[in-house]
Amino acid sequence: MRTFLLKVGATVLTLGTTLASTLYVTAHLKNSSAPLQPSVVATQGFDVGGLTVTPGVRQGDVRPVTSTYAS
Amino acid sequence: MRPRPAVVAHHFEALGTSCSLFGLGVSQTQLLNGEVWVRELGARITRFSDRSELAALNQSDGAWVDVSPETEELLRESLRAYELSAGLVNVAVLPSMLAIGYTRPLAEGTSSATPERAAPAPALADVLRVRPRRARLQRGCGLDLGGIAKGWMADRLALKLGPDSLANIGGDLRAVGPGPAGDGWPVGMGGATVMLRDQGAATSSVRRRRWGDLHHLIDPRTGLPSRSGLEEVSVVAASGCDAEVVAKTALLLGPGLATAYCAAHAQAWWFSS
Repeated sequence: MRTFLLKVGATVLTLGTTLASTLYVTAHLKNSSAPLQPSVVATQGFDVGGLTVTPGVRQGDVRPVTSTYAS
Repeated sequence: MRPRPAVVAHHFEALGTSCSLFGLGVSQTQLLNGEVWVRELGARITRFSDRSELAALNQSDGAWVDVSPETEELLRESLRAYELSAGLVNVAVLPSMLAIGYTRPLAEGTSSATPERAAPAPALADVLRVRPRRARLQRGCGLDLGGIAKGWMADRLALKLGPDSLANIGGDLRAVGPGPAGDGWPVGMGGATVMLRDQGAATSSVRRRRWGDLHHLIDPRTGLPSRSGLEEVSVVAASGCDAEVVAKTALLLGPGLATAYCAAHAQAWWFSS
């Protein structure tokens, strides 16, 4: 009887965890039809006067100390 | 709140171009030592002096030659650049450089050009072998490290100068640390100012170092100066060397593919055609 109860308990716990995980993921998925790897070009940053800037680069409004240039 | 120290700057001419070093909490002597480092390393890797390590490698006729740790590292970086650019940044373009008349520093003028003798560059990985403190170049090949050395030197120098510094070697630069106001080093690029922190930037162009219809930026696929349709590309990347490689690759790819390449490898970019 004790063994049987342990098996039932384990089964209920497994099914419960699976159900809870499913509900959590479904509730928190922002866009279920989003592609896993969006197009690289389409997700790039914004364009300012011909300069394309991704979120990894901040623009500033101070005078630059130096610049990149052709040499 | 303690005031931040003032930016110390040092400007000089080396490697046939203008260089600038900046640092916070560094001394002028440290920046001067940085200039000495640039000049000493430049003398080792120039192709214009018969006494340089690069000249010894180019003239080795296929034999193994001893190289310094810095030259070894730069050669390994050249192989990495070749991979990163899918073969478009290839330092084995020296024969083409010589064929178009770029035989000495441009300040001394060019030689007569024989573009018909230019040929596609060999696959760098097939002709260059690098081992600890030694290197071997296949007979008949030649290397010109000018297309990769400046960004690589900017990376090394910025790290040598200190945790809050910027090294600009001929327009290829590396910024480390939070900069003068704590929000990055302000750098001009494409008519705007970008704040760089532990990032690099570089510009590749066919508008400088040109004579007649020729210029110095060789397309290794043809062995001739690039005619991609782009004349200048500036990028921000994780390091100065990466920025240099990405900018040159994008310029060689041309307007059709440059955006996609930069989107995959750069953090900011600007084109001019």
